[in-house]
Amino acid sequence: MNKKEVFKLAKGFRGRAKNCIRIARERVEKALQYSYRDRRNKKRDMRGLWIQRINAGTRQHGVNYGNFMHGLMKENIQLNRKVLSEISMHEPYSFKALVDISRNAFPGNKAIAPPKKEGLAILI
Amino acid sequence: MASLSVCSSLTTTSTLSQNQKSAVPAFKTNLNFLSRSLSSLRLASPKQPLFVPNFSQTEAPSSLAESETEPITEFEPTVEIADEEPKREEVFAVVMVGSRQYIVFPGRFIYTQRLKGANVNDKITLNKVLLVGTKTSTYIGKPIVPNATVHAVVEEQKLDKKVIVFKYKKKKNYRRNIGHRQPITRIRITSITGYQDSPAVTLP
Repeated sequence: MNKKEVFKLAKGFRGRAKNCIRIARERVEKALQYSYRDRRNKKRDMRGLWIQRINAGTRQHGVNYGNFMHGLMKENIQLNRKVLSEISMHEPYSFKALVDISRNAFPGNKAIAPPKKEGLAILI
Repeated sequence: MASLSVCSSLTTTSTLSQNQKSAVPAFKTNLNFLSRSLSSLRLASPKQPLFVPNFSQTEAPSSLAESETEPITEFEPTVEIADEEPKREEVFAVVMVGSRQYIVFPGRFIYTQRLKGANVNDKITLNKVLLVGTKTSTYIGKPIVPNATVHAVVEEQKLDKKVIVFKYKKKKNYRRNIGHRQPITRIRITSITGYQDSPAVTLP
């Protein structure tokens, strides 16, 4: 890469990394390596995030993530995790319908009730 | 990434459908392309609702492909949108395009993987509908909702932003600097039909 390109990519870097070509080239190359790596890592990270969101959504209906997905598999519903997480955030009633279907498909889910939160007042 | 694409597909059909009324009779000479694409949109879904974005109010980057003529007729609609909001039909679908799933709403656009052989202004139907949600009921496909189709219009075939692919191996004097632009297609969803006969889950 020539100097001009390097400085263009080094805009906004800190200290001498934006002004001196030797340091700027070093930092830009490292930055591009990170971006190459993280384009791949992004897929894993997003999947993890979607799973956390689905889990949060299903637990409001008393089902955990694993049992919910197992129920969907049994019913042959092939929505992916990205779509499920978006439904759980923006379309709560549709998501409830999915949870109900999953719960009926997998009877193990029925027994689970959301844990009661009781204060310390009971102990006294 | 993907969720980003859904959000960025919030667009301004509101301005578009307003423009149909004002633009089409006024400019008959130079606007052949524009009026044709708009009228085809309108024919495909006669009750095309005015769409007001839910999640964000940004109206800026939507109409890049509608050619440079659009800014001329863009001034009137903003006031009237609020009045006609209740006419909006509330339906969404989850549709599979190019082995990816998208949540689509009529009137918005999505960027998909390049659809080969499709030309601009082609009407396409997407058959792999995995879920349809309306205001009162949800149709859940196992794995697809029978007969449900999503109709869309190809708006633009273009290349995505450039990604710099920099490969580097330490101590081996190996550097590769390659630019890559992924071909993508922008399609605008016109309507969602055919889901009514399949079994539905009624919502409370």
